[in-house]
Amino acid sequence: MMPTALKRWLILSLLLASVLAVLLASATGSVSMTLDQWAQALLHPGADQGDLLWRLRLPRALSAWTVGALLSLSGCLMQVLLRNPLADPYILGVSGGAAFASLLGMTAGVASAFTPLLALSGSLVSILLVFGLARGEGPWSTTRLLLTGVVTASGWAALISLVLSLGNDSSLRGMLFWLMGDLGYATTPSWALLVLALVFLICLGLARSLNVLAMGETTARLLGEPTQRLLWLIYLLASVLTASAVSIAGNIGFVGLIVPHLTRLMLGSDHRMLLPAATLFGGIFLVISDTLARTVIAPEQLPVGVITALLGVPLFLLLLNRAKLKQ
Amino acid sequence: MNHRTMNNLAMNNLAMNRLACKSLDLSIAGVSIVRGFNFTLEPGSFWGLLGANGSGKTTLLKCLAGLRAPDVGAVLLDGISIDQLPRRVLARHIGMLQQHTAYVFDSSVLQTALTGRHPHLGYWQREGQEDIAKAIAALNAADLSGLTERSVTGLSGGEARRVAFATLLVQEPRIMLLDEPTNHLDLRHQVSIMGMIRALSVQAQGAAIAALHDVNLAARYCSHVLMLYGNGEWTAGSIGELLNESSLERLYGCAVRKLESPDGPCFYPLTH
Repeated sequence: MMPTALKRWLILSLLLASVLAVLLASATGSVSMTLDQWAQALLHPGADQGDLLWRLRLPRALSAWTVGALLSLSGCLMQVLLRNPLADPYILGVSGGAAFASLLGMTAGVASAFTPLLALSGSLVSILLVFGLARGEGPWSTTRLLLTGVVTASGWAALISLVLSLGNDSSLRGMLFWLMGDLGYATTPSWALLVLALVFLICLGLARSLNVLAMGETTARLLGEPTQRLLWLIYLLASVLTASAVSIAGNIGFVGLIVPHLTRLMLGSDHRMLLPAATLFGGIFLVISDTLARTVIAPEQLPVGVITALLGVPLFLLLLNRAKLKQ
Repeated sequence: MNHRTMNNLAMNNLAMNRLACKSLDLSIAGVSIVRGFNFTLEPGSFWGLLGANGSGKTTLLKCLAGLRAPDVGAVLLDGISIDQLPRRVLARHIGMLQQHTAYVFDSSVLQTALTGRHPHLGYWQREGQEDIAKAIAALNAADLSGLTERSVTGLSGGEARRVAFATLLVQEPRIMLLDEPTNHLDLRHQVSIMGMIRALSVQAQGAAIAALHDVNLAARYCSHVLMLYGNGEWTAGSIGELLNESSLERLYGCAVRKLESPDGPCFYPLTH
């Protein structure tokens, strides 16, 4: 792990890298643009390529950043909540509800503009369902939450398969893209950015409590933390983050698992450093992945979820191996 | 002197450091641990909590820490039932070393020790120089000065145990509840940690109670012993009154002999 001063610089450079990544992503795509044209378009939205830049590429790049940041922050929270470094944002079934509602909408021919709204309502239903079923009588139990969440997720998966098998062939491709994670429909994610900023600030205030909670619920109580309240709060915050991400881009795998984990490997588990670093890193990672998704076989587009997995899996295994060697 | 230190001093001067049980009944899974338990953990005392496996030592300590409610009666901190006090306030007065320490997430030894300051800090507050100095002093005391930047997930059992003990020191509770504090420790660290607990309780007018399996450590460091028989019966008293062959034979159900040594009595079990 690195010294604190270096960690601060790292966070600053990640912030800078975020801006750079979004700008660079906006300069690349199936319609080629010279650097000069790009700069012109950036400074004068009315210029030749201004529309392309300001109405398509920048909103999409910004969406990618926001979704990556949302998923990564949510992953950090889920890992502390379940006290398991392998937990990811989807583990408790939030995305299943969203996917079911969205696919149902697609089958019924609802306009694609409504997909985010359907996804959001689906995930909210799932959050409340799991929350209500897991709460029950008596004190908090991680096992109970995990089991309720995982079983609910399986239930959604069955319903999704049902919709897929009953759906018509023409909408199948769109559905599969959505299930694998796709930023093709993304518009400027202003409300999601607001959710991200708000939840991020709350989490930063809770960061020291998260450090204590990461050592176990009993330890946290002995160190003065009223854990019942804290655990439910974390569950709700993480779920809202995931729901927002899913409603924009469907199920993008691996970001919420791998980015928090990589950041933990590099920075350790002080959440005051981890949360900002992982949030920024998640954003950058998804911007890069989405740029690749748009360009590798341009003008065809790949679902970004395929790229995050193809990039994330080897990167993760490599770093995990190196961390093991150091110990 | 800043505002916080003044506050802490004021809190300590309030002498909130007498933990008492009043006609307490405690049981686990239908088995009685103590019945009619009247007990006061006075400042200046270090109690050894002795009993066979499964006699309820851990459960009693958890009850004293407010982690588990008794069946009947209450645990009082200076006359106030501890279930009436917020956990944050409790954590400034009562600290507990749990029997098992398992660290799941990578975090440095120093960072882990600093979590002991948690109940003393506000919502957005960061640890100051003073807090870091306390953590470093505690890590030195626990003989961990060379490991401060190591990750807690890579430590040996004994090292992890000492990190947990150092965290308790950093928390600075006046009342310490310790569940087998010498678990996993080598001889040198066993006597070092028992010596520190004695210094903080008997000499510095704090109070401590430690579940122990080593009768000889209890004989050397504790001022009192509490014996649990596993059926709700219990006895409490000073080391001199209670630690003898016949009481230990009754407690453990095995023949025990006593040897006098220049450093005090030693007890050992007879083989069958």
